Amino acid sequence: MYLALLGVGTLIIADNDRVELTNLNRQILYREQDIGRRKAAVAKEQLQELNPDITVQALDATIDAASVFSMTENADGIVDALDDYQIRYLLNRVALENQIPLFHGGISGFFGQATTILPGKTPCLKCIVPHPPPREVFPVVGVTAGFIGMIQATEVCKYLLCRGDLLAGRLLLWDGMQGRIEEIPVENDPFCEACAGNATRNW
Amino acid sequence: MKVTIRFFARFGELLGNTLNVDAREGMSVADLVKEAASGNKAGYDTIFDENGSFRDFVIVMRNKKRIRSQDAGSILVSEGDEIAVFPPVAGG
Ligand SMILES: [Zn+2]
Repeated sequence: MYLALLGVGTLIIADNDRVELTNLNRQILYREQDIGRRKAAVAKEQLQELNPDITVQALDATIDAASVFSMTENADGIVDALDDYQIRYLLNRVALENQIPLFHGGISGFFGQATTILPGKTPCLKCIVPHPPPREVFPVVGVTAGFIGMIQATEVCKYLLCRGDLLAGRLLLWDGMQGRIEEIPVENDPFCEACAGNATRNW
Repeated sequence: MKVTIRFFARFGELLGNTLNVDAREGMSVADLVKEAASGNKAGYDTIFDENGSFRDFVIVMRNKKRIRSQDAGSILVSEGDEIAVFPPVAGG
């Protein structure tokens, strides 16, 4: 939403789901009357209404090994709004291959994390999270999604404007219950399956 | 010796966020965390598997530096150490 308002020229929204009632506490593009409609299409309508001057492409498709490369073909960066690490690892692979940044975010309850992955410079997602946490039904507090999403949008904005210090090589941890933000340094894993600890590119 | 253990996110809810503990000489990082978690079964089981090893997704840091969880049993704690234990989160 904020990326649209910022005027990011082209946004590509990939989602294969329909709007459900349980999405509405955090996915604030959708309204009750949208329940049952395709998310990508509704998102496009809403974003286009917020900013008619940008281009929004709606991809009503599953992100998988077959589709992910064409989806991201001309992208300047990838924003992770996923709830599953296997698909995140796919995005990580594409980011590494295309040498574009991956703006990572994850949430659970009142907790969140975010980092910006610059392939060849920072550790990749697999270096940072080599093993996904066990599957659970995530209780999601809408504000946590908003907070982490806002950090990701801030990162995108800085990256596109070449301003400030990105969350590169730093994992931000948000504990909403305690009202605390921390960051921890993350390191390249020389044995990483995805990037083998390669750090060769100057950004 | 005085050591600080910090549990993040869900781990912190179950075990307390910051614990200042008295560690014994020769204690490993794994021993220390196990002892700190032993009072709360749910907390212990979220971090350790049935063999008492760190679950593979658990991230362990010593003085802001990541240590491989499989090495935590052989790395000894020293006076003033800060051990941080946290789970990556997956939702979106
Ligand atoms: Zn890596």
